[in-house]
Amino acid sequence: MRHVSTALHRRASRPSRPSRPSRPSRAPGPSRTSLAATAVVCAAALSLVTGCGSGSAGGASGSGVIHVLVYGDAGNTVEKRIVDTFNKTSKVRAVLDTIPGADYQTKLQTVINNPQAPDVFFNWGGGSIAPFVKAGLLMPLDDMIAKDPALKADFLPSVFNTAVVDGKSYGVPMRGTQPVLLFDNKKVLADAGLTPPTTWDQLLDEIRTLKAKGITPIALGGGDQWPELMWFEYLFDREAGPGLFQKAVGGDKSAWNSPESTKALGLLKQLIDAGAFGTTYDSVKFTDGGSPALLAKGKAAFELMGSWEYATQQSANPDFAKDQLGYGAFPGVADGQGDPNDLVGNTNNFYSVRSTTKYPDAVAQFLKLMYSDEFVKAQLAIGNLPTTTNTPDFLSGSASPAYSQYQYDLVKRAPSFQLSWDQAYPPSAMTPIHQAVQRFFDGQLDANGFIQAMQALPTP
Amino acid sequence: MTRSPTPDRAGPTRPGRADRTRADRAARTRSGPAGLTRPGLVWALPATAFFTVFALVPLALVAVLSFTTWNGIGAPRAAGLANWTALLHDPVMLKSLWLSALLTALGVLLQTPISLLLGVWAAGHQRNRAILSAIYFVPLLLSATAVSVLWRALLDPNFGLPAQAPWLFGDGNLLGSRDGAIGVLAFVGAWQWTPLHTLIYQGSARAIPQVLHQAAAIDGAGRLRQFWHVTLPQLRTTMVTSTVLMVVGGLTTFDTVLILTQGGPGTETTISAYYMYQQGFKSFDFGGASAIALVLVVVATLVSLAMVRLSGYDAMRAGAEGI
Amino acid sequence: MSHPRMPGSRTGRPVRPNYLAGLGSLLWLGIVGLPLAVLLTTTLRTQSDYATNGPLTLPKRLTLTNYTDALSQGFAQDFVNTCVVTVSVVALVLLLVPPLAYTIVRSRRRSVRTVFRVFLLGLAVPAQAVIVPMFYLISKAGLYDDLTGVVLPTAAFSLPICTLILTGAMRDITPELYEAMAVDGASPWRVFRQLVLPLSRGGLATIVVFASLQAWNGFLFPLVLTQSDSTKVVTLGLYSFQTEHGVNAPGLLSAVVLSMLPVLGVYLFARRALVQGLMGVGGK
Repeated sequence: MRHVSTALHRRASRPSRPSRPSRPSRAPGPSRTSLAATAVVCAAALSLVTGCGSGSAGGASGSGVIHVLVYGDAGNTVEKRIVDTFNKTSKVRAVLDTIPGADYQTKLQTVINNPQAPDVFFNWGGGSIAPFVKAGLLMPLDDMIAKDPALKADFLPSVFNTAVVDGKSYGVPMRGTQPVLLFDNKKVLADAGLTPPTTWDQLLDEIRTLKAKGITPIALGGGDQWPELMWFEYLFDREAGPGLFQKAVGGDKSAWNSPESTKALGLLKQLIDAGAFGTTYDSVKFTDGGSPALLAKGKAAFELMGSWEYATQQSANPDFAKDQLGYGAFPGVADGQGDPNDLVGNTNNFYSVRSTTKYPDAVAQFLKLMYSDEFVKAQLAIGNLPTTTNTPDFLSGSASPAYSQYQYDLVKRAPSFQLSWDQAYPPSAMTPIHQAVQRFFDGQLDANGFIQAMQALPTP
Repeated sequence: MTRSPTPDRAGPTRPGRADRTRADRAARTRSGPAGLTRPGLVWALPATAFFTVFALVPLALVAVLSFTTWNGIGAPRAAGLANWTALLHDPVMLKSLWLSALLTALGVLLQTPISLLLGVWAAGHQRNRAILSAIYFVPLLLSATAVSVLWRALLDPNFGLPAQAPWLFGDGNLLGSRDGAIGVLAFVGAWQWTPLHTLIYQGSARAIPQVLHQAAAIDGAGRLRQFWHVTLPQLRTTMVTSTVLMVVGGLTTFDTVLILTQGGPGTETTISAYYMYQQGFKSFDFGGASAIALVLVVVATLVSLAMVRLSGYDAMRAGAEGI
Repeated sequence: MSHPRMPGSRTGRPVRPNYLAGLGSLLWLGIVGLPLAVLLTTTLRTQSDYATNGPLTLPKRLTLTNYTDALSQGFAQDFVNTCVVTVSVVALVLLLVPPLAYTIVRSRRRSVRTVFRVFLLGLAVPAQAVIVPMFYLISKAGLYDDLTGVVLPTAAFSLPICTLILTGAMRDITPELYEAMAVDGASPWRVFRQLVLPLSRGGLATIVVFASLQAWNGFLFPLVLTQSDSTKVVTLGLYSFQTEHGVNAPGLLSAVVLSMLPVLGVYLFARRALVQGLMGVGGK
């Protein structure tokens, strides 16, 4: 290659005097080599561009493939296993795609109306799929259910109904129900002579004790914003009961302005000002493993988090998950109207089906696995709690039977199970909610500012 | 084919661009047939067509989309001036412009003195300077993504540097406080880009004729006065080049913000480029995002035009050639 | 280096060491070098060692598992994808820019000058600004989540600066050479092939490096236009590793080190072209 370019150069310069226009500062050596390299690269690139330019596509249009899109986290081990099980018997192959948690909703909405849309995708039911249903992008599953009634009958009705929109079913429950619990580090509590709090006042007391010992009382991944939201969800429920938020999300913006609302915000402010979360919480994230590490390493005593904390700890800090990870319900507030048994969180996750799928029969076969014994056992093994009717049969075989049984009883006896605010509102409200929540934690918004921000949200 | 008489080109020195343009113009009037060897418009066609399809059409579409409402699911619908009136009354938008300007200014103020001094120092040919310069260069080998990821890890308040050096970082809540987050963004930008500007200054400082320094030394000027009266004036065009690069780079910062702060805490680091991304791909208001984008385009174009006017296209090339 | 030696040292006048500047340069060495040193040592230690002892201590035991883990966790695939994107972008740029630059330098048509102005103006347009319509167009074209959809806009947005760089290089070819070839009756194609291309090697090397850097470091286009593991590029791999397992600093930073190795290679073998290319990136 090199001698060719030199020859070219010689022929080109022949007619001229030796005054080759070179800048004194330019060394000729490397550039000659790079020209040769350039030519090679160019040739290689051409063959690539023409040869396999589109071969690298991950599109759903390939023959005999259904794409399953799932929120990327520690729970993916089970989804991978289920896909493998499906592929053992099916002619149509399932491919699992994951998107890291922080970007899931973004990517879902950007891809849902593309040719590359997944055939089956993870969602939270409720407000998270309502815009898709409205745009006619989802396949009603009623025909599938007519052929295989177990697709509906084998799930707890209250859970299944979260994904029913306008009387039609759009989702089959997957993973499990995910109530938000107050997790703790048993060793840290024991060393401080404390037990998990059952009342708000007890929690405040324990925070003082822990602070005196130099431990951050509560780990909080404020960098992700939504972990902060959980504190609002529980305090509004404990103070006002589930009705306030239901009214607000239904469009009655005055609900945010009620005395209970101000009172709940006052309690939270009190907690923040007491230093319950330390000072660096907005620099810490849950999604990257930051706040779980604080809890596991004994740098913090509590963390308010969805039940998936168990799976997270199990994969990052298995020894801690086994021996030291404690859990309990959110404490009650003395004069509040909410039932201390109320839960907030994700009622369940669902698989919904894009109406354009080429292989509805294969999808139906795939969805049937969501109530299979294998699925239930595998979910229980990583700390998730499926809401199938056969779940109680396998509770004893879960990785942590006590944890699974505890959650199951909790969900069963909860008078209300509020879906996370950011999932109950349409996706466009998510950023404003998260920002308002974070600014309240930072002290940039006071109670009135927060209320105004909530009143400005778009409602479904 | 006749060889056109071009006496003004025969000199041994490289003619300036202006001279050559004049010469070209002169040649055009004098010799027609020489134009036979000139490439026609068709040579420029492929690149122009490609650029039109993948850059100009999208640019035009930005303007169109800014008058529509589109959530990414259905088709865009005409919305008149709705996005623009909303933008005018959007406090976050105004703040984001201010933040973009602030971060850019901080970048210039932080990077210019450091890179100027380092560049002049590194222009010396001592061996130790060469070795240090090689180390200074390393941050440039990392992508903005990699640099942000690196600093995000290093600045973790519980497991990173702040935990081990509280005398420097305090409680370590850098990314969670307004001043801390802005400071981190400015610092990380400087950490990544100062090496580049150091190089630019180093190249130009080496091109300063030594006689100037010698003459000043004979006049009894010390090191400081030489720097002030010889070096600095000679680097004036380089400063413009370097500042243009800093300003354009600063206005278009995106990766760093997305990875380090996501515009937070609250909206304290939501600069315009990030705000556009957030409105589009987080809140699914693609019409509003397009309006922000158009503002970005106009601001960037105005700034660049002003800078080019100020510096001249040749100054930019002179800076690049200094290496 | 072809720079002339500083006459100061040759004329024998002793150069007084500049202590203040030396001190300042050492301070900057700390600011640049310390994070880099921490970067390296962190990748060579276990995660638990890092979590308990912090970044500023030396590793208890050296290990390479972080690197092997990063490669086995799909980072190798990311590398392949980035290579495909980079090579394709460079190929497109090399196909499109040299003829354009040649025309701009040699043609006297008014239309060509207008074309050049448009490209110059394109310098000012930040790629972020067109991300929404780009997403729209690429989706409509069915190229979403396809590397082709990343290659096309990345190449398009490196055209202006590459054109600027290459026209600069081509303008330095003296008119006599063109005239000499004209005497031989050479066609524009022959002039291009035998005179222009060989004599603008430096510029070509620079635009190759610039386009490669743009493609290699590109983040926004892949972020918005792809989503699958099979189309993930290195920068996105870093980003998703960070969003998912950011607390695993040793693993994360190993990926950071891996991502810079190819550029380091270019630095070692083609420093000048790299520096020139970087200057273009700094302006974008």
